[in-house]
Amino acid sequence: MKKVSMYTLSTCPWCRLAKQYFTQRHIPFEYTDYDLADDSTQERIMRELDAEGASGFPVVKIGDQVVVGYQPDRYAKLLGT
Amino acid sequence: MSEFVKAIRAEEIAPGGMRTVELKGHQFVVCNCGGTFHAIDRRCGHMNAPLEMGTLDGTIVTCGMHCAQFDVTTGEALAGPVPAYLGNEVPPPRTGALLRNVGLFMQNVRTEPIGCYPAKVEGGWVWIAL
Amino acid sequence: MSTDSRKNALRHFFARIVEPMGFKFTPDEELADFLLAQEVKLEEKHGIPFCPCQPIRRDRARDMQIVCPCIPFHRKHFDAMRRCWCGLFVHQDVTDPTSLPQMSAKDLGLE
Repeated sequence: MKKVSMYTLSTCPWCRLAKQYFTQRHIPFEYTDYDLADDSTQERIMRELDAEGASGFPVVKIGDQVVVGYQPDRYAKLLGT
Repeated sequence: MSEFVKAIRAEEIAPGGMRTVELKGHQFVVCNCGGTFHAIDRRCGHMNAPLEMGTLDGTIVTCGMHCAQFDVTTGEALAGPVPAYLGNEVPPPRTGALLRNVGLFMQNVRTEPIGCYPAKVEGGWVWIAL
Repeated sequence: MSTDSRKNALRHFFARIVEPMGFKFTPDEELADFLLAQEVKLEEKHGIPFCPCQPIRRDRARDMQIVCPCIPFHRKHFDAMRRCWCGLFVHQDVTDPTSLPQMSAKDLGLE
């Protein structure tokens, strides 16, 4: 099973939907709410997002593929479901 | 028991405009919101700045000093101050110390609702109930 | 300072800014209400109503680009999606906001 992790915001409804997508399918994932993280974690996340050209949340990583935005169709495709 | 007092000629305030008046020792601002007049305290509920020096948009007055906002129909505070941006330059030591000191106090300043008074137009004049 | 009054005030100010740009509030009232409530909280915390779905970087030049409504700073991207990033605003002819994608400018081939 591909590893799933995501960067999210506690204030963002699309991030909540992204978390629900994997929860409802019983797919384990890790997440970090950027806005609740400490300064050095935030800086690290920003460097990663800038490298991906991502300027908004959620940012979901499935295996080594990065999906920016709530895109359930792409999640399904990358999970092979 | 409140009574209506003559405040200002209605034609002296254009729609969207505000004028300050003093009646019986108290300062008010009269607002013309598209032809309907409202009367509020002159002093901002944040740091007492004169509200007629701010802007009126619909029925929302924004204070010109720190941008606190109030509903002129109820006096309710809608927003506190917007933080000042001081730039990236390092201020001289005494200025920096003053700014930090003032900042400590300003963090504890609350934006309170302001007084709002019944207003009517009669005989070409705006009357305020005191 | 009630959240509802502040949400209404934000609606009043934002409508006048987004309409000349061809946008309107999303017809999804529940989403709009949630996003505005988040913006009121962000405004209480930071003094500025930031977008609830974009990062606050503590870099003023970049943070000013996510002050709601942030459409002018992301015009090409948002016009291509027909919505802003968080979805509070959509193009004026949109009736079904759920059909609109949320994709990065890079994914849309704009970068």
